[in-house]
Amino acid sequence: MSIDNQQQLDQSIKKAQAADLAGRITVGLLLLVGSIVFMAPFYLMLTMSLKTRGEIDTTSVWSWPQTVTWDNYKTVLQNPNVNFVQFFKNTVFVAALSTLGCVLSSSMVAYGFARIKFAGRDRLFILVIATMMLPGIVTMIPTYVLYKYLNWVNTYYPLIVPAYFGGGAFNIFLLRQYFMGIPRELDEAAILDGASHWTIFSRVVLPLSGPALATVGIFAFIYNWRDFMGPLLYLNDPQMQTLEVGLSTYNSLRDQQWHLLMAGSVLVSVPLIIIFFVGQRYFVKGIVMSGMK
Amino acid sequence: MIRFGVLSRIVSIFLVFLVVVGARAAEPVELRFTVWDGDQALIALREAVNEFERKYPDIKIKMENVSYGSYFQKLLAQYAANVAPDVSMMDPPNFQRFAKRGAFLPLNQFFDQVPGFNINDYYKQIVDAHSYHGQLYVLPRDIAPIGLVYYNKKMFDDAGIPYPDGSWTWDFKERPELKEKDFMWVLHQLTKKNAKGKPTQYGMVVGWPGLLRDLFVFSQGARYTNGEEDFTKLTYDDPRVVNAVQYVGDILNKDRYIPSPSEMSNSLQSSATQVFNSKKAAMYMCGIWEVPNIREVVKPGSKEFFDWDLTLAPAYKDGTAKMSTGGSGYGILSSTKHPKEAWLFTTWMAGEQGMMAMAKKGLAQPAIRKYALREPWIPGPNTPLDQQYPKNRIATDQAVDRVVFFSTSEYWTELGGLVDAQCERVYLGTATAKEAIAEGMRRANIRLQAIQQQGGLSKFSWMSGLWVALAVLVGAIAWVYWPERKIRRTRSEKAESRAGYMFIAPWIIGMIVFTLGPMVLSFLMSFAEWDIIMPARWRGGGNYAEAVGTDPRFWGSLYVTMVYTLVSVPFGLLGSMLLALLLNVKVKGMPLYRTCFYLPSLASAVAASLVWRKIFAQDGGLLNLVIYGPHGDGNFLGLASALKGLAAPGQMINWLGREETSLLSMIIMSLWGIGGGMVILLAGLQGIPQMYYEAATLDGAGPWRKFVKVTFPLLTPSLFFSLITGVIGSFQVFTQAFVMTQGGPNDSTRFYMYHLYDNAFGGLRMGYASALAWILFFIILIFTLVQWKLNKYVYYESDTR
Repeated sequence: MSIDNQQQLDQSIKKAQAADLAGRITVGLLLLVGSIVFMAPFYLMLTMSLKTRGEIDTTSVWSWPQTVTWDNYKTVLQNPNVNFVQFFKNTVFVAALSTLGCVLSSSMVAYGFARIKFAGRDRLFILVIATMMLPGIVTMIPTYVLYKYLNWVNTYYPLIVPAYFGGGAFNIFLLRQYFMGIPRELDEAAILDGASHWTIFSRVVLPLSGPALATVGIFAFIYNWRDFMGPLLYLNDPQMQTLEVGLSTYNSLRDQQWHLLMAGSVLVSVPLIIIFFVGQRYFVKGIVMSGMK
Repeated sequence: MIRFGVLSRIVSIFLVFLVVVGARAAEPVELRFTVWDGDQALIALREAVNEFERKYPDIKIKMENVSYGSYFQKLLAQYAANVAPDVSMMDPPNFQRFAKRGAFLPLNQFFDQVPGFNINDYYKQIVDAHSYHGQLYVLPRDIAPIGLVYYNKKMFDDAGIPYPDGSWTWDFKERPELKEKDFMWVLHQLTKKNAKGKPTQYGMVVGWPGLLRDLFVFSQGARYTNGEEDFTKLTYDDPRVVNAVQYVGDILNKDRYIPSPSEMSNSLQSSATQVFNSKKAAMYMCGIWEVPNIREVVKPGSKEFFDWDLTLAPAYKDGTAKMSTGGSGYGILSSTKHPKEAWLFTTWMAGEQGMMAMAKKGLAQPAIRKYALREPWIPGPNTPLDQQYPKNRIATDQAVDRVVFFSTSEYWTELGGLVDAQCERVYLGTATAKEAIAEGMRRANIRLQAIQQQGGLSKFSWMSGLWVALAVLVGAIAWVYWPERKIRRTRSEKAESRAGYMFIAPWIIGMIVFTLGPMVLSFLMSFAEWDIIMPARWRGGGNYAEAVGTDPRFWGSLYVTMVYTLVSVPFGLLGSMLLALLLNVKVKGMPLYRTCFYLPSLASAVAASLVWRKIFAQDGGLLNLVIYGPHGDGNFLGLASALKGLAAPGQMINWLGREETSLLSMIIMSLWGIGGGMVILLAGLQGIPQMYYEAATLDGAGPWRKFVKVTFPLLTPSLFFSLITGVIGSFQVFTQAFVMTQGGPNDSTRFYMYHLYDNAFGGLRMGYASALAWILFFIILIFTLVQWKLNKYVYYESDTR
């Protein structure tokens, strides 16, 4: 290699390094600006929850609290109308059990659609997706009547049990797409070893689907945690209610208590943020598929 | 004697035993009681309920609260399923639809059952407003005249105007010679503007512009309908109404004595109370329910404090004084098993105990006049200092003489709403009253005609309905298995097929048990007239014909939804893909960034809508601040001149308040949700085997080639998913419009789902709403099937086709 070439190489390496640095700075800047913009609603929730009612009414919404007060949190946590601790337990119970059902049953169904060839599969899958196309408003009343005949009104069953039967078209579709991206060679090897579909599903496909399962799990958990209409309709007993419904007590027709509503909203959101923050590791947990071949 | 004594003792012991056992055996009666009240009122109600249970230990009360927005949905669902509560809160605009269909008990039969009860103790106005054809259906608990004026005494002092005593009048022009006796003169005097004509202090703020219009209309002796309990004609085209609407529009937009709805978007959730509390307006016209909201902020001794009081809204120049009003009460559901106990409880809650508990907190004006005239409603020597304000609370009693109720017909809310939506344009300054009301009347009359022609429908034929449903089901199954008719499967293929069905069994069972029945029922109802309360009646294809033929808002709402979908889905997809690629880079602190970008989906919807209000506000909104600069005369990147067409002449863009930009704003807002798509695509990116990138690197591919040859093709399964579900989701977009714009202005954000919801629960037309839903279903289905053609280009690693 001549000196000339060496110099050229050095230059191009330097150029590449400079480009890389410029790229990193751009990425960093984009991330910073973007995340500030996207954090706005949370900032607002947080600062309003730390202001007195008087300050909320008389200062700009963007302002930082003049004196930080934790009274709103105290009020929210001790209010006998909205038994926060009890509602928290109820919500954890409902969200955890229905999320479990969602992940279990949607992954099973998705496996069937993605990796087994059965009669009528492709058109049946269109029907699965079609269930998402009918607005829930018009099935709400019949569904309520159905649950009444099952004697499920004022129990947690309507909020939990259906999740175990399919887990929702959205989740089935999401996982089906992911499962279809997993190379066939893997299960062919297993089939040669005499493995059943159940073994392939539980031993090969599921372990490789961490990011997709985490996505479904987190989506389902957030959905159930945040669900308003379900608990509102099916639960009557005030002690059985969930957080999201409890919060609406602070936001009634002629009595909007922003300071309490926001303190409650922060308390409701923080567990979700923690779960997302922890769970996102699994979205990006590199799959060791590279070493497979 | 002794024997007899023993005998009587034995007998009496036996009797006592019987009584004890009997008392044990008799289950206490349990009454379910639902209200829509919020936190503060619940505390008062609970107090009264506890007292009731102490006094009547054999009646147990289960109180449930549901916020007003969902209250009627839940009540209807419960009524349809025959699990309705015993006693329910109700109000004049809503009771008739229940009462007329026999869902509420007429109450007159009970009047003599509770000693001391006398219906004449109640304000006659609110009793009448809860009656239909001479029968009372809802026992009133409160009345809420809408036409009280709170005023800031300091601002009156500063302007040198004596405090109002309620004897002022109004006319369509200012009459300076009358001075403080002329309401418009006072408004004018109390409004302060800067050199540019922008108000720095408003003369008044109103709870909502319509209440001022109602005051003007009613005081002139005009009405919106030609009847109260029932009506056959809308009378908005009465010149007195048109003049009143125009006058309100002028005060808001020309005189600018009162902040217009677009200026209000600056404050929180356009809460007028905050404008008054933060000393930006000298007066505040609204109802008595705002007292706690003012008192809690403008506290004696706090830095927010100022001296304030209450007076009556002005009369018309001829001395006629009228105003609109609210109010509510409790009704007894006809399905109750304990009507007597329910009535006893109702007279308690809508009687001294319930009213006093509410009055003590200043929450609701007692519907029984004698309680509205004494402490604690009227401040007296025992009233604590912080509850002394406002002092002139006797004005609430004087106001009752002036109240006018809207028609209590079940059709009023829907029909009046059609015209009111048009009047909003006048308040925003984008239309004249004449043209707005003409358009509103046109729409309302189409609907009114349809209402008047309905009836005469035959009973719903369940047999033919079931045949139709069966035919559809058989058709669907046939469609699924049609391609299979010639395929012969080997034994192992059959086993494979069975395994497939085992795996999808949960979905099939769930479909049959939970989903199919309600779907079929909604399909059947799309051929029916069904109001949820009464049995359905057969309408044939009438609902579908009405949708595509006569519904004045069907095509508009479909168009708006199409535009929204076609723009927001591609941009959303692009945005979430770029974001996913960006967040897939290995940079320190990435978990934190990912969480930040997902935050909008985690924060409360109320907070998010607040943020958007602040971003889109015409005056001081973040977006306009960027475009026009802090002084409103800038031209960032030439945007101000480029977007000139979107703004009213000489103004900044009113993003949510104008038809030209409201839909665009909704689309921008939807991009906020790209965090959800990002998560899905991020998971998709992880599924790409690293070996492909290694191979590409070895081939000397640059980042762009890697993206085109590796990342993009292998991301297509996730992109395909995002596209399909994105289109399905955005055809059903609802919440944004529901929270932010209520479909306005002028229906420019009235999405299809909003239209559907409005028909289902606003107009109680579940049959028609079902037809709308099934039309939407087929539209989305067609779109999805067309997109499904793209499946060919999706690269599945495990391709089994």
